[in-house]
Amino acid sequence: MNPSNPPQAAEYGGDEVSAIVLDPGYSTTRAGFAGEDAPKSLIPTYYGKYNADGQEKYIYGDDIFVTPRPGLSTYNPIGKDGIVEDWDMAEKVWEYSFTSRLTGAKPGNPFQNGLNDIPAEELPTEMEVETEEKPLADSPLLMTEPGWNPAKAREKTIEIAMEKWGTPAFYLARNGVLAAFASGKASALVVDIGASNISITPVHDGMILKRGVQHSPLGGDYISSQIRALFKKNSPQPITITPHYLISSKTAVEAGQEPQARYKTFAADKAPDASYRALLEERTIGEFKECVVQVWPGPNKLSNNGPNGIPNEEAARASPGRPFEFPDGYNQIFGVDRFRVVESLFDAKAAIPDPDSPFPAPTPAQTLPELIKASLSGVDVDIRPHLLSNVVVTGASSLLYGFTDRLNQELMAQFPGPRVRISAPGNTAERRFGSWIGGSILASLGTFHQMWISKKEYEEHGANIVEKRCK
Amino acid sequence: MPPFKDEHVLLIAPGSQMTLAQLGLPETFTPARYRFPTRMFPAENKGEYEPYKVREHKRETKAAPSANGHTEAPKEDVEMKDSAEGAPANNTANGDSNEKSDKPEGENGTDNTQKAVEEILYEEDVTSEEGAVYPIQNGRIVDWPCFFALLTHIYNSLSPPFHTPILLVSQPIWSARDREAITQFVFEKFKVPGFSMMDAALAACYGFGVQTATVVDVGKGKVDVTAVTDFAVNEHGRGIALEGCGGDAMTDRLVELLGQKGFTREMCEQLKRSNIAEILPPGTSLPGTAATARQGVNPAAAASTGEANGADGGSRGLGDGNGNDTNGEDDEGVLDVAAIVSGDTNEYLANMEKEKATNKKGGVDPKQPRLPNSKKERASFQFEEFVQMDGENNTSGTQRYLRHSREIEVGVERFLLATPRQKIGDRLTSGILEDIATQIHHTILAVPDATKRSELWDSLIIVGCGSRVRGFTQALLGVITQKFILSPSATIFTSEIPSTFTTPHHTGGTNTPAPMGQQPGPMYHPAAHGVNPLLVAATHNNPGMPIAPGTPGMDPSIPTHHRSSGHSQTPTSVKTLRLPEYFPDFKDQGNTNAPGVSTGPSATTGGHGMEEGAFLGAQMGAKVFFVLDQGLTKGYMSRVEYNESGPSAIHEYIV
Repeated sequence: MNPSNPPQAAEYGGDEVSAIVLDPGYSTTRAGFAGEDAPKSLIPTYYGKYNADGQEKYIYGDDIFVTPRPGLSTYNPIGKDGIVEDWDMAEKVWEYSFTSRLTGAKPGNPFQNGLNDIPAEELPTEMEVETEEKPLADSPLLMTEPGWNPAKAREKTIEIAMEKWGTPAFYLARNGVLAAFASGKASALVVDIGASNISITPVHDGMILKRGVQHSPLGGDYISSQIRALFKKNSPQPITITPHYLISSKTAVEAGQEPQARYKTFAADKAPDASYRALLEERTIGEFKECVVQVWPGPNKLSNNGPNGIPNEEAARASPGRPFEFPDGYNQIFGVDRFRVVESLFDAKAAIPDPDSPFPAPTPAQTLPELIKASLSGVDVDIRPHLLSNVVVTGASSLLYGFTDRLNQELMAQFPGPRVRISAPGNTAERRFGSWIGGSILASLGTFHQMWISKKEYEEHGANIVEKRCK
Repeated sequence: MPPFKDEHVLLIAPGSQMTLAQLGLPETFTPARYRFPTRMFPAENKGEYEPYKVREHKRETKAAPSANGHTEAPKEDVEMKDSAEGAPANNTANGDSNEKSDKPEGENGTDNTQKAVEEILYEEDVTSEEGAVYPIQNGRIVDWPCFFALLTHIYNSLSPPFHTPILLVSQPIWSARDREAITQFVFEKFKVPGFSMMDAALAACYGFGVQTATVVDVGKGKVDVTAVTDFAVNEHGRGIALEGCGGDAMTDRLVELLGQKGFTREMCEQLKRSNIAEILPPGTSLPGTAATARQGVNPAAAASTGEANGADGGSRGLGDGNGNDTNGEDDEGVLDVAAIVSGDTNEYLANMEKEKATNKKGGVDPKQPRLPNSKKERASFQFEEFVQMDGENNTSGTQRYLRHSREIEVGVERFLLATPRQKIGDRLTSGILEDIATQIHHTILAVPDATKRSELWDSLIIVGCGSRVRGFTQALLGVITQKFILSPSATIFTSEIPSTFTTPHHTGGTNTPAPMGQQPGPMYHPAAHGVNPLLVAATHNNPGMPIAPGTPGMDPSIPTHHRSSGHSQTPTSVKTLRLPEYFPDFKDQGNTNAPGVSTGPSATTGGHGMEEGAFLGAQMGAKVFFVLDQGLTKGYMSRVEYNESGPSAIHEYIV
């Protein structure tokens, strides 16, 4: 071929459009194109609200963590149990999650976007301004939901997708099922450790077994509250977390010494409110969870004796502590305490009491081993061994160091007979985005195409169709 | 398909201000050969654009009164012609400067030689950008037709042969749909045989020859902060188009400080680019506050806060030549610290004399000129502007302009360009640098692979022309150190412990969970245990040494030891990467253009001169994708694939 020859005229004619997978969680919202291996867009579900120039303004996305706004307060449209409470704002947050990185605000006018050659005389005049294009007008949408999502919420979801976003096709899938798919299993016992909830979802042949779905609020946020409780009764001095945005510089101090930092002050009318501070403190706590917190790996509870008769606490104490420095420069070694903050996920008695905590003291029924027991007793006896040999661990809080070992120990202690096998992806992203990845797989399957609820079907049958089709 | 050749590769790197382009890959990579301002001017037809500002200039030729009274017709004639001639120029949008002057129409002219003819002249207007459309703002494409017109203009200007693939450096903020739209446009308009898009941050990593780095791209109106690990861009937590942090924000700050002293925005822009504007590391006292006490009473002392500048005016204003601005200033009587010296050479020399005299009066240390810029209280820079030539009258119809430069002196305001603005809008910012530092912290903390974080902190890449301001890198590192670096007492254990605690962990004691699934990477690297981590860290960050593939996985710094039970907090240190030394042209570029390379503390930091490192990376990428492996690694999308799967398939090729 001679480089000066013009290319042939063959041109692309079809329109291949990949579906968008939206996995809304309590702490973060994940969105991306089906068929990809990780969500392109990951935003906090928290949004900020403030007043400026006499009007209310909202901010979404990561920006909230970087620059505060005057009088900023933060909210979460999703309730503590993982069910949407504020539908208007949930819609906006979700919309931001895919418009910001995936679809763009709205497609340009096809007459003027430069992609079409239109003779000048055919250009429409001003009056022909189209009604505002909807953000998802050309992408099918697969959304996830927790296993205990009420029918009303499901109908509301499809309503938003169809009417507000204008999606041509929609499907609503349980996140437990999707997490099982992400591990390549059609039947599994999915243990999902999220931010607001931990949940156990038995999945059999791609369907959830509703009677076996269990959930309790001992998720990542609960662990954070335990960490706060620990800081409050810390031994040399109680630790207060001062987030980075309130500090202009810090000076190195010895471990356990009073912090020496220059603090930033905001004018009273400009200062972001307590909810913002709490959100930013959560960032530091998150770092603390990553760097310091450790799950007692077992065997046996932290408060019991180990197999060799030595109290586990003693053994934990003997292990070297882990240092952590707070944004204001205060730093300290955390010894056995770093095991205690998560122990109550397995042992309700081990909870660190804190009267100010928004979480009531956990009951034994809320702990992981009890939840799993309750879940299994809700399903058919025949499939229990199969589920136990396919335990899928997902959710970001399951990344706590040593979590899967402990879970393994607990399951083996509880179900000595059947073979217990935990499958927990080693890849951080796969663990954090398990249900999104499952959705990505599902929506890109050729056989899935018949499952979509089309716009036409929705118009014919109404929102109730989601109950019939998405089981 | 025949293989692509080096000389047949088109690179385009669009930015908010400048779009870099180059046809062909030179033997040794050089800075971009072509720079197009990223702006177009609306053409006469709605929806079309021209690359140059063309001014319509009407002129009446003075002539004897018409004999036959046929005056109206020619005008119509000219107008018709005007639209007929305007259209082709718009459509082609080619590189010709559209200076076309209409000659009087033949037929009419011969008949009525004595009538008044109105001529329409087109001339390029170099002095103003009025009416310009900037299709990219803060990285985001805001005007698609204009953006496509710009791409067309660039393509036509370079006029590559048909068999030329295109590599486009993409902005992080472009959404997936944006990329698809561009892909569709490129394939269908230019009929290219191959097309690829390369993320700007990744391109910078290519340019610096590293696979794991934190790329800070300081642009015109925004900053992007991206963590790249093993050549993969971490989309989560990425700082995309952080507003109010780019070069414009610094200019705005200068305008705010100096505006009341008669500085125009253009002056502030040039001041920012000059080598006297400098960001001092945090905690440095401004000259004239403490360091220069010998200068006696100093009107600029109050300026250290950056707020009271306007309050006290200095007494050292100098006379000026014929500059309009300064004249106005004189009239207002607000002469102050920022004295403006202007005029042509003779006058300038005369002024220099005067200045010397004044300086002596002011008791300035005679050694002052030798001081580094950061110690000088006052300094001056060359301000260039277009001045209309006065001598000529407008009979010819064209206005001519002279590039005219004059010297302007400023005080300590030139050090304050990164301080927070007073009018901050909605953002409670604490200055550009702190915002960027916070974003870097956020971005690195969001990287899921915690073992990489320490390395990310130690390999900052600072690119983008906004970072050319002298001292920028140094000051940014200073802010990070102040705010985020962990104190040694929190990390001392990490260096003390290894000898005592690595052993029990490997035997699998009760307190050492064998990590299930998530194998800590450093475990694979037993050698690191015996080596002094500092030594390894030092050799590891050897400037100019390209990191061999595979090494980052065994990053030998502190986490190696600590990883045994989780991982440790970061950052314990922060460093910028040095540019590789095997592209001398990029270094030269830095030496000539970057203001900060001559002397002073900032000169030692890497990064300057490589603010266009992304373009270097793009050249490497193009070489690899198009020429070396000819598409084996799916580095580009070929036309065949486009025809089969459409624009959305570009996502599989974007690197």
